[in-house]
Amino acid sequence: MATLTLLQSAFDILLGAALLWLAWRALNCPDLFKAIVLFVAFGLLMALAWVRLEAPDVALAEAAIGAGLTGALLMAALARLRAMTPDEEDSAKRLPLRWLPLAALLLVATGLSYVVLTLPPEAAGLGAEVATHLNSSGVDNPVTAVLLNFRGYDTLLEMVVLLLALLGVWSLGGPPLRRKAAPGPVLDTLARLLAPLLILVAAYLLWVGGHAPGGAFQAGSVLAAAAVLLLLAGWRLPVALTALPLRLTLVAGPGIFVALAVGTLLLEGQLLQYPPAQAGVLILLLEAVATLSIGVTLAALFLGGHPQNDNNDQNNKEQR
Amino acid sequence: MAAPFIDLPWGIILILLPLAAAMAAFLWPSMAKAVGLVTAVAVVVAVVGLGWQLLDHGLYRHAIGGWGAPLGIELYADGLSLLMLMATALVGFAVSLYAAAYFKAEDAARFWPLWLVLLGALNALFLAADIFNLYVTLELVGLAAVALAALTGSATALGAAMRYLLANLLASLAYLLGVALLYHGFGSVDIAILATRIAPAPVAFAALGLITTALLLKTALFPLHFWLPPAHASAPAPVSALLSALVVKASFYILLRLWLELFAPLGAGAGIDALLGLLGAAAVLWGSVQALRQSRLKLLVAYSTVAQIGYLFLAFPLALASSVAVWSAVAYLALAHALAKAAMFLAAGNLLRFGGHDRIADLDRAVQRLPLTTAAFALAGVSIMGLPPSGGFVGKWLLLEAALTQGRWGLALVMILGGLLAAAYVFKVLGYAFTPAAVAHKSTAVPASMEWAALLLALAAILLGFMAPLLLPLLGIGEPFGANGAGP
Amino acid sequence: MNTAVPYALVGVGLFALGFYALIVHAHLLRKILALNVMGSGVFLLLVALARRSGVALPDVVPQAMVITGIVVAISATALALTLMLRLAAASGRAELPDGRED
Repeated sequence: MATLTLLQSAFDILLGAALLWLAWRALNCPDLFKAIVLFVAFGLLMALAWVRLEAPDVALAEAAIGAGLTGALLMAALARLRAMTPDEEDSAKRLPLRWLPLAALLLVATGLSYVVLTLPPEAAGLGAEVATHLNSSGVDNPVTAVLLNFRGYDTLLEMVVLLLALLGVWSLGGPPLRRKAAPGPVLDTLARLLAPLLILVAAYLLWVGGHAPGGAFQAGSVLAAAAVLLLLAGWRLPVALTALPLRLTLVAGPGIFVALAVGTLLLEGQLLQYPPAQAGVLILLLEAVATLSIGVTLAALFLGGHPQNDNNDQNNKEQR
Repeated sequence: MAAPFIDLPWGIILILLPLAAAMAAFLWPSMAKAVGLVTAVAVVVAVVGLGWQLLDHGLYRHAIGGWGAPLGIELYADGLSLLMLMATALVGFAVSLYAAAYFKAEDAARFWPLWLVLLGALNALFLAADIFNLYVTLELVGLAAVALAALTGSATALGAAMRYLLANLLASLAYLLGVALLYHGFGSVDIAILATRIAPAPVAFAALGLITTALLLKTALFPLHFWLPPAHASAPAPVSALLSALVVKASFYILLRLWLELFAPLGAGAGIDALLGLLGAAAVLWGSVQALRQSRLKLLVAYSTVAQIGYLFLAFPLALASSVAVWSAVAYLALAHALAKAAMFLAAGNLLRFGGHDRIADLDRAVQRLPLTTAAFALAGVSIMGLPPSGGFVGKWLLLEAALTQGRWGLALVMILGGLLAAAYVFKVLGYAFTPAAVAHKSTAVPASMEWAALLLALAAILLGFMAPLLLPLLGIGEPFGANGAGP
Repeated sequence: MNTAVPYALVGVGLFALGFYALIVHAHLLRKILALNVMGSGVFLLLVALARRSGVALPDVVPQAMVITGIVVAISATALALTLMLRLAAASGRAELPDGRED
């Protein structure tokens, strides 16, 4: 028992050190490509840290979104950037007052560490509150209960954030200079094999989210990963679907949330107050629609520009 | 529902209607303009409805999901929230009217969904009672604002928007870290609950420092204003109006709200109120001088925003002695500046559209050729300068009075100097508007609705000067500055 | 030993490292990476501190907040990357325009 605790402590310390080292390297190594690889590795270790902190839902979200999809976004951006400004490399600015930011770093780190160490040892959180009301939330996984019931309003707004990011990206016209490279046979086969598997995983995560780690965001991001693989393999949404059907799917997530908010307001008198008997079903329905919408939105963010533009002007440097 | 008009859930309508409208505008771009205009009108109606409710029942509270704090999230409105919602509805209505004529087909399809999300997010922010919920609304406001600021797609606008985005994200993370510390220090994210628990511990001071700095960066208080002039000046005119009038006020509102409920005793003890006052004074002087030095109209108006934001912070060191009067003055100033500054940016947009440029020296008899727009600029200028009978006058007078009775001559001097400098830069513009330029320029017609939208806001800023007896009591609903406010 | 405090301190370290990199690096991709690292630091602190009492019942509210935060972070990253690419296309550089910051 004692050795196990000791081992765990050693592991924690090693993991913490590795996180700091990877972050430092990712932020300071001269090669941007390497920096992104290191950042993805950092994200995967973060997922491990979440597991150690008994936060499996966060670990899933971190691995899928924080490391996976963010990494894909960064890589795609770097490739496009290299195509535009091939010789630009990054190095730290030669600041005349180089010690000033360094002093800022030390000051922030010391001050905040001091604060963390002065916190009273007993946490004053909402753990007990959540446990008391979990039964009437309609789900058994407390994280899902918080996300979709207790603090569902935050999640509604968060869905709008995701949609807003896409509105912003499309409003900017997406990334300029899109290349359509033919995928290699390996990628092609890999995508064909993996995509259906990922879709299954997404469905499983969605279903299991009610009582075990998982849920709409994790499932949605796995769905997005499947779509990203297919996009990399050269697959494109049929033109007929790029107009209203695509936009409807993108809006469906926040849309159903708002619809449910209005419905519960009319029937129950409070915003997002689910009738306890139907809470489980409503949350599952909400999550199913949200999963699809999140997946499609994340994939669209990866693609960047509006797919309609993608089909007819690949060579335009300036779309507007 | 058979509920009478007054009992409709106006607070919720204010949040959900613009968000739903944004989605509709995104789904059917051809209807975006109509959807946007109808929503802008509906939001004005909803604010009136909410104000009515507040007058009848006092404070507004809505426990979302029926859980109530601390487990759930609550919506909350008092007189201060109402005033900010009024500013949003009024400016939003006039800007929508303006934008309907300003943006053409494709740009309109990009503008309306973003603006409607921003509108819903601002309303949600002013109705929030939960510091984590405020974080989410802040992100919504920030991302929408950046996307709008980049709308023209020029290299200048993109660079400014990028700088704006980085400043915004840095501030959001610092704010979130402050939220994390407050949650772990005091076990809640509900403002009212935190107010009963907060104590002068290191964690509270760290949260105060992080959250205040974050919100100062978002509010662009000198010297954290570096991102504002390029972003506000290079955005399309209706967007500039929204950014200067409403978006910087949103973060200021959070700062004010948290200061009133949580931080005042801590901050005053640590001398932070004095520091904020000092930065405010520096902002008034620096912003005004910079505004005076600009040769482009929109940059002048943007620097004027930097200066006017400074005024809002002059109140902090004064509040300890006479809190209600001083904070009422600040709320009034914020509302007056929102109206006047939006009018100025819309007027500047008209001049830009008319002459194809915004060089101040080449305004070329604008007073004869665009009389309504020039009138709008002049009237808005009256409020910015703080001359009677405008809304700006009421706010600045109350503030000046507090400074004088407390013997804070330095602050009083800054207020008067700021007013003189404002007069100088407003008259600089008006002076050129009266003189013919050396070379004639060709001009483009400006739609009447764009001129009237600017004038409407400027008139509202002036009218606000007469409304003080009506609005100041409204501001007292729920005693945002009273009972649990910043008192000794 | 309690795992809460060491992980919270790592979170503080990540926040500070990201802040430093955000200031000293000019390349926008690096600044975006820096913001993401800062975000991870905040998230780590938020969740880790919830476990410092070591009672059987971990507080999951911070976990839900972090999931919200992760989604917000990728949204912001996507917008920032597109803006960066647009800026690079328009100005030829993936850096902030020099300009006077007054």
